[in-house]
Amino acid sequence: MRYLTFALAKGRLARSAMDILEHVGITCEEMKDPDTRKLIFTNEEQHVRFFLAKPSDVPTYVEYGAADIGIVGKDTLLEEKRALYEVYDLGIGRCRMCVAGPRQAAEKLQHHELIRVASKYPNIAKDYFYNKKHQTVEIIKLNGSVELAPIVGLSEVIVDIVETGTTLKENGLEVLEEIVPLSARIVVNQVSMKMENERIMNLIRDIRKYQESQNA
Amino acid sequence: MKKDLLHTPEGVRDIYGRECAEKEQIESKLHDVLNLYGYSDIQTPTFEFFDVFSKEKGSVPSTELFKFFDRYGHTLCLRPDMTPSIARSASKYYDEYSTAVKLCYVENTFVNDSKYYQGRLKENTMAGAELIGDDSIDADAEIVMMTIDCMKAVGLNEFQVELGNVQFFRGLLAEAGISGDDEEELKSLIDEKNLFGVEELLHSHDIGDMITDALIALPTLFGSFDVLKRAEKMTYIPECLAAVKRLKDLYAVLSANGYADHVSFDLGDLSSHAYYTGIILHAFTFGTGEPVINGGRYDRLMGQFGSDRASIGFSVNVDRLLTALQRQKIDIPLERNGILLVYDREDFQAALFSSAHRRAEGIRVCMMRKKSGARLDDYLRVAEEGHYEWIFLCENGKEQRLRVEEIRREEN
Repeated sequence: MRYLTFALAKGRLARSAMDILEHVGITCEEMKDPDTRKLIFTNEEQHVRFFLAKPSDVPTYVEYGAADIGIVGKDTLLEEKRALYEVYDLGIGRCRMCVAGPRQAAEKLQHHELIRVASKYPNIAKDYFYNKKHQTVEIIKLNGSVELAPIVGLSEVIVDIVETGTTLKENGLEVLEEIVPLSARIVVNQVSMKMENERIMNLIRDIRKYQESQNA
Repeated sequence: MKKDLLHTPEGVRDIYGRECAEKEQIESKLHDVLNLYGYSDIQTPTFEFFDVFSKEKGSVPSTELFKFFDRYGHTLCLRPDMTPSIARSASKYYDEYSTAVKLCYVENTFVNDSKYYQGRLKENTMAGAELIGDDSIDADAEIVMMTIDCMKAVGLNEFQVELGNVQFFRGLLAEAGISGDDEEELKSLIDEKNLFGVEELLHSHDIGDMITDALIALPTLFGSFDVLKRAEKMTYIPECLAAVKRLKDLYAVLSANGYADHVSFDLGDLSSHAYYTGIILHAFTFGTGEPVINGGRYDRLMGQFGSDRASIGFSVNVDRLLTALQRQKIDIPLERNGILLVYDREDFQAALFSSAHRRAEGIRVCMMRKKSGARLDDYLRVAEEGHYEWIFLCENGKEQRLRVEEIRREEN
């Protein structure tokens, strides 16, 4: 049997995902060792392999078929826009993609004024302002601590993920508009979906059943 | 020496040595299949007027075309896809034919992929066939059989040829009255098999239960023959039922002729080219994340060039196929033949004489004057790359014959 390879977005998401997979009978003891330096983890009996990757790289691994299945946030999928199958909403890691800024900036979103938008997600920001709001904006790509941008005057507003909103509040910012709700998704390579159809569909069915029993 | 000059632009590459020989081998095997079915070759220009590939034709998006101008200011573009080119030329030259026209090609196409795919090939060799002027199920079957024969001809064992019918989706859409932006969004959601997205979108519309259920099920309607039975039960819309029936009839022909093994179905496959109007097909195998063969029925494309005729065709992406073969470690056997003749300066005349003699018999002979400093190993490499069977060493009036395979065996 061929190995079924999973690419997981590093961090909290990977841990919750492994937890769910364990409940449907897919385990990987190797991965539980916190001191391990291995890059790829194998379960020889079940013929499955796992590796962790930077979230934004997960869709790439899956698109090229280096991984059959990926588990990654909707934010990354929207930003990367890769050709893959998005087959299941795991419902974990729920949060929102928002436009945020100081309260005064809200007014600037009402008119078609040229404003500056800082974000780690330039594609999502561009799509939202150009195609949904029809507002011409200047997008400034940042790689972290996006909240800083409106405070120091780099931009008028930001586009970023908001979970609880505490970071925003502490810095005098607030959610001005909500773009899209987010959560973790299972994505599948298009060829793998056809060639390994049964294994993959069974897995998704099991996960769905497990989650429904949890919610019931 | 300017090193910069040695690089090729992004997305194009040199193919040389053994890889080039392998690629030609694959091309000729595919071409043999197409010829065996009686398709005759056609060559169309590498660039055409932009309008041949414009939005209404339903080829590649305009932003992914390589465009330029001629001296009169017309917009030209490198062909991204062979089908519109062939539809155009067939409309021009075969317009008065009342019979079917069968054409095939092995040509390069050019798609200027988005920036996310740096280094991905923008120039690809396509081998394909177009069957023009035949709307029967016979034509569908022939195209699918050729697709399967092509996959087998290059040595692939593990592959799937997936059949869909865009009419099924069109029928549902028409009945639901969805169009414009919603249609586009629904299409892309179904294409990425995003069940939840589809549900969400449909619940915001007031559509009958039956159609909603069928549209929601669409992303899951793929797999074996059972899928068709499931699809049939879902709807009463005549267009959808006709679409399923066409696939069933096609499957019956394929099974009766031993072609059913590699076939599966996907009604949620809406295909990238908008010109497809009926049966569509994709062939998948391991080692590449995308289909190696795409094809389908385009009954209205020819009409846009003034010669309305139902047609169906497919094309193999040879470069992608080559990658898949390499990754699956499938050997592309290159037959060793001919002679690499290495001669000393004094033996030039003798070498010439014997080469001419052998060439007259149809044996390939490559003459090389022995260079001082070059060793047998160097010539062995040349012989390997050129897949020669023999190395002949002409020294001091004598000819020493070495078989390349034997030397290799001794080395191991």
